[in-house]
Amino acid sequence: MAARIGAAVFVAAAVGATMGAGSSLVLLNNLGSLGRESIHGWLYNRNAGSSAADPYDRAMIAKSGLLALTRGEAIYFQRSRDERGRPLDAACRYEVTGGSLPSRWWSLTIYADDDFLPVNGDDAEAMDATRTRRRPDGSWVVEVSAKHPPSPDWISSRNAGKFSLALRMYNPNPGAAEHPQSIPLPTLHTVSCQGAAA
Amino acid sequence: MRPVLKVIAVAGLTGLVAHFGVMLATPYKLMDVAMSRIRGPANRSNVWVHLPRTTEAARMVVRPSPDLAYSSCAYDLSNGPVLVQAAAWKDYMSVSVYQANSDNIYVANDRLHPDGVAFVLVRRGRPHPPTPLPVVESPSRRGIVLERRLAPTAEAFNRAAAARRNDLCTPFQG
Repeated sequence: MAARIGAAVFVAAAVGATMGAGSSLVLLNNLGSLGRESIHGWLYNRNAGSSAADPYDRAMIAKSGLLALTRGEAIYFQRSRDERGRPLDAACRYEVTGGSLPSRWWSLTIYADDDFLPVNGDDAEAMDATRTRRRPDGSWVVEVSAKHPPSPDWISSRNAGKFSLALRMYNPNPGAAEHPQSIPLPTLHTVSCQGAAA
Repeated sequence: MRPVLKVIAVAGLTGLVAHFGVMLATPYKLMDVAMSRIRGPANRSNVWVHLPRTTEAARMVVRPSPDLAYSSCAYDLSNGPVLVQAAAWKDYMSVSVYQANSDNIYVANDRLHPDGVAFVLVRRGRPHPPTPLPVVESPSRRGIVLERRLAPTAEAFNRAAAARRNDLCTPFQG
């Protein structure tokens, strides 16, 4: 009897350990938005890089943004869905429209679903505050698509599959990091998708 | 306790321990991987590794920015403090320190240090060396120092590469 109970306890421990570890990995791999604020379609984690992060925040940030700076130095937004909640897809054309952002410098970068730059040979993974052309009203438009548009303000999504965009703002103005909802974040608009209506 | 309750309690307890253990260990493990890549096959700590311009081939750390020139140093305070120096840069530049659990414990940028960044990194709780430089305490023995210089074009990157050539991440000689 004692041997049977001992075996059952051993199996229970093994099952518990497997399920516990597995649940952590499922969370880390599938719930990247956990702990983040959603602001106009962009995800923001005010604890990035911070010692104030809880174990879940710290693990999520380490997995998708290791070596992030704290919000006093830089703030990071991430977007992986379009204006209707669909995953961003290399089969679609998007326009990202923005204006002046409350920081010293900003950049917009595309990442494939492995969190690295898409491998496509286009050398068009990012646009930043120094290169983006401004319209008379101060706004800018960047096209995100698999084919080079007439405009030079282009980020190539070729071979990116289901991708995400990262908006980095370095040396944010006082208040921007504490009140991210006050930031006039760029808007994303789906122009068209191959084989489907936008 | 009834045997069945005992089995359920064991499963639940080991599940909780494993769940939080994996969650707590993940940042350490990812930092270990990053430090190992920075140290390279020669396993060199306390030396700057100046990375080439970030391209689609970059695989050192997730989500690299192609607009920045990165230099990284895997520090190890086992044998004493480490001196960190980075030359001035006319645009955005920062030097940041990450302890072994991935927390950003210190950052210095060009706005606060227009003539360049210099500090001595020591293990928390150890005596500070005699130096007029700022002393930064690391809670962990090992970690990463990361330098970022804004360099969104090939020309700017070449200038950054020249500016950082004499930067130091090296054992402190008191």
